[in-house]
Amino acid sequence: MPQFDQASWVPQLFWLGLVFAILYFAVVRPTLPKVGRVIDEREGRVAGDLDAAEAAKGEADAIRDRYDHGMADARRTAQADVVAAREAAARAVEARMRDLGGRLDAEAADAAARLDAARSAAREGLAATAADLTVDAVRRLIGIEPAPAQVEAALAVQK
Amino acid sequence: MANPMEQFAIEPIGAPMAAGGFDLSFTNSALWMVIALVTISAFLFIGTARPQLVPGRAQAAVEYLYEFIRSMVRENVGPEGMRYAPLIFALFIFVLVCNLLGLIPFVGAFTPTSHIAVTFGLAAIVFVLVVIVGFARHGLHFFSLFLPEGTPIFVAPLVAGIEFVSFLSRPFTLAIRLFANMTAGHVLLKVFGGFVVALGSFEALPYVFGLVPLGVNIALTALELLIAVVQAYVFALLASIYLNDAVNLH
Repeated sequence: MPQFDQASWVPQLFWLGLVFAILYFAVVRPTLPKVGRVIDEREGRVAGDLDAAEAAKGEADAIRDRYDHGMADARRTAQADVVAAREAAARAVEARMRDLGGRLDAEAADAAARLDAARSAAREGLAATAADLTVDAVRRLIGIEPAPAQVEAALAVQK
Repeated sequence: MANPMEQFAIEPIGAPMAAGGFDLSFTNSALWMVIALVTISAFLFIGTARPQLVPGRAQAAVEYLYEFIRSMVRENVGPEGMRYAPLIFALFIFVLVCNLLGLIPFVGAFTPTSHIAVTFGLAAIVFVLVVIVGFARHGLHFFSLFLPEGTPIFVAPLVAGIEFVSFLSRPFTLAIRLFANMTAGHVLLKVFGGFVVALGSFEALPYVFGLVPLGVNIALTALELLIAVVQAYVFALLASIYLNDAVNLH
């Protein structure tokens, strides 16, 4: 096996040492840390962006909360306003109804009084006419003029 | 049939080099390590030329691999270990690219990670790193690694001995696991490749019998691709687990 030929070990180790030293000090060291820095920078950037996105999301949530609260408040206020307006309107209608009812009652009472007055006036007019007719009839029938008191007494009996 | 071990032979390329009595010749193994280095350099330099917050294709590919290693280190070592992520990444991508390049057919690809010397060298990097980080962070307290908390005192020497041997054997298991996986895979591919030639050269029915081992070889190549990736992952995973001992003790 050529691998165990010890004469070949020294040149192999020498060239390995030379090549590996160049590889590490002249190739890997000057190049790889650059990539390492870029990777770290990218990771930092991504982490920062994620944090910013998280913060923005929190802010958006807060705004939504505030909006929801505002909407709820507005709705409550509007409902209270509606209830108050409805009650006020109901009160106003009731007051006007009461007012109108009172006026109509008064007018009805007034009319009833006038009707009574007219009726009694008419009744009195009727009594006077009856007395006149009675006097006239008595005079034509028996030729005497009856005393008004007699006529009234007679008519009161007839009534 | 060709010797399936021949593919692992180390062949010098160009003039032999030496320094201080050591043979430092450029070989096919060194060539493919350099090819891996160039491939990784192209991948990383193109991918990180202009890093942008929204990555392009090349940057996304680099990021994907790096993030894979970073999350592995984060899970196994924790935030304290993140500074070692580039080193774990270098180990991972070097093993991965060496494994994968070695599977390219027709170009005479060589797999440096199929050699114990290379895998041991990589494991030694992990071992030395663990020891240095351990003593730098915890001083002599790092030795408490060998005595898990709550060990009864009368078995302490035994446990400490076992833990110590297990600690010392880590670079060997790390090295042998990768080397053995790569070697076995390439041997298997070569053996079935030899079957294709041997069975396909029947005089009476040429090619026909060679199709069966060819199909097997295609399936094996897919399996070896998986193993190439999995072994690179295992190497990096074990490296971060060992590093965890050094950073956090137990």
